[in-house]
Amino acid sequence: MSQHDLAPQLSVIVPVGERYADLREIFYEYKAGLTAAGMTWEMIFVLDGRHAECEKELKQLAACGEPITVVGLTRNFGEATALMAGFEQSHAPFIATLPAYHQIDGNEIHKLVAGLNSADLCVGRRWPRQETWFSSMRRVAFHRLAAWVTGMPLRDLGCGARVMRRCVLEEIALYGDQHRFLALLADRQGFRVREIDLHQSPKDHFEGGYRAREYAHRILDIFTVFFLVRFTKKPLRFFGMVGASTFTIGLILVLIIVVQRLFFHQPLADRPALLLSSLLIVLGLQVFALGLLGELIIFTHAKDLKDYQVERIIEFETFPTPDGQAKVLRSLPGQNPPPSRQADG
Amino acid sequence: MLENPRLSIIVPFFNEEESIRPLYAAIVAAISPLEVTFEMVFVDDGSSDGTVRIATELARSDSRVRVVKFRRNYGQTPAMAAGIEHARGEILVTMDGDLQNDPADIGLFLKKMDEGFDIVVGWRHDRKDKLISRKIPSRIANRLIGKVTGVPIMDNGCSLKAYRGALIKEIPLYSEMHRFIPAMASIAGPRIAEIKVRHHARQFGASKYGLSRVYRVLLDLMVIKTVTSFTARPLIWFSLLSLPLLILGTIVLVYTLVSSDPISLPVAGSGVVFMASAFILTSAGAFGELVYKLGDMRDYHFSRLTQRISRPHSPSQTRNS
Repeated sequence: MSQHDLAPQLSVIVPVGERYADLREIFYEYKAGLTAAGMTWEMIFVLDGRHAECEKELKQLAACGEPITVVGLTRNFGEATALMAGFEQSHAPFIATLPAYHQIDGNEIHKLVAGLNSADLCVGRRWPRQETWFSSMRRVAFHRLAAWVTGMPLRDLGCGARVMRRCVLEEIALYGDQHRFLALLADRQGFRVREIDLHQSPKDHFEGGYRAREYAHRILDIFTVFFLVRFTKKPLRFFGMVGASTFTIGLILVLIIVVQRLFFHQPLADRPALLLSSLLIVLGLQVFALGLLGELIIFTHAKDLKDYQVERIIEFETFPTPDGQAKVLRSLPGQNPPPSRQADG
Repeated sequence: MLENPRLSIIVPFFNEEESIRPLYAAIVAAISPLEVTFEMVFVDDGSSDGTVRIATELARSDSRVRVVKFRRNYGQTPAMAAGIEHARGEILVTMDGDLQNDPADIGLFLKKMDEGFDIVVGWRHDRKDKLISRKIPSRIANRLIGKVTGVPIMDNGCSLKAYRGALIKEIPLYSEMHRFIPAMASIAGPRIAEIKVRHHARQFGASKYGLSRVYRVLLDLMVIKTVTSFTARPLIWFSLLSLPLLILGTIVLVYTLVSSDPISLPVAGSGVVFMASAFILTSAGAFGELVYKLGDMRDYHFSRLTQRISRPHSPSQTRNS
């Protein structure tokens, strides 16, 4: 385990979820690619769920002196959680995530690493693709929709190959299904994100993506991202809009009914439209109240939910030295700013 | 800097490379005669031009300049909030980076603060902006804001304001609240003064804010009203919302029961819907109480920020002495 002692430059996190290939084969493929990329590295396998076979296999590899760390989770927590668990065990200044199955060609990893020269996060895009016209159409439609909702044109959200600087994951706590949208979240935090074309592995075949459940998941993903991106900090902007428009429609409907009753002698009581309009009014109020509650939550937790990230603070010595030596020129970790509050004088 | 300065001047910049040097010179020229220790906190709101470079040069030549750099553009409120967070002065002055405010006015602000006010806001009584697109909407908005929040300020949009640092650092600022900082601060019940300031026409660059924000201002106003006056008592606030529904529902239901005609389904139905909604709204209020209880905003905490204690035997007990 000698390579553990030299702190590696790149920590590779491989989450092993429901879908995984022969890990030994995967490992050697990635190993070849990483060695070609010319960095020292360690690999962290996160077993998301009880994969006794995999664990045995990986321990054998580790026993052979390969720089492997295995993190075993007791149940299936999901890929984002697995990534964060792996991240906690990592030491390197650069982090890579790679899928536990054949998705990209292992020899392409150096392209991702090279991309870090001009970006903080590089995500892979499998291109050219080998797939049927139907799945191609599906993929394009999904990504168009996602791009439209989020305003960021990413073309392969399903690709698990990413390389990033450590600070990216330090600032973005992933949960649920958010690993897919890491590029988007990073972009929101002001990191430079690049999408890099990688050769698809010839063994990349995803079966079982044609179930209705899968579609529902994707649609929900888009919803999640929509809220995440647009309205987390201002719930009333969204709920207020929906609530106010529902309320207005209901109110107009009621007015019409009342006018018809007063001036055109149409009976008020026997009209289902009355029920509809009162429902709309009530619904509008409820949605609006939800938005207000959301704002109350934001307000009472405003200290924890800071909506900006300081990249660095530039300041110099009181008496500037001839070479303008910087006293502080640092990156602040966004989540916990230093206690800047001073005792009042 | 070992000693905390008395005054911090916070200026957010977004693509203002032409303005930053003249503004720096103007600030230094204005404050130097006042003989107070001061620092300048320049917040770079993700500028894409040379703003950061020039600001860094200024920081290198003058140690009183600190630059807080955002990784991307977040908007004016976060920029202000970051400046306030990283400022170390006892009195914080915020101003625009586009040279429309005049640093020569800062002296007046300091004098007012010394009189014991917690917040001093500027009023651009002679505003150099377009009448139709900026001045008239702003006047209406200010009236409305004053009415709703109970903090009657002539000019909420003026960035030139002075705050007591200990107070403003505790006021949550997020979203687009920079227009409402005095209203937001009213949870702490500060002593607010308003003074007339000079206002210059824009010299460089284009205005970055348009007319398309009426709807947002209205919603933000609603939010401020909710969080400032009803934070501690969400149940009451939501109950007030539900009261009209409750009354309406009761009337409708009583009417259907009393009237001799056969019961009409739509009418009875609407009555039930109104009643149910009133109950749900009240429950939302109860939920709000829970949220408030778990959060970290406390009235007594805010009261401490502005309180003044005078004890007869120890003369130096007031915070502002």
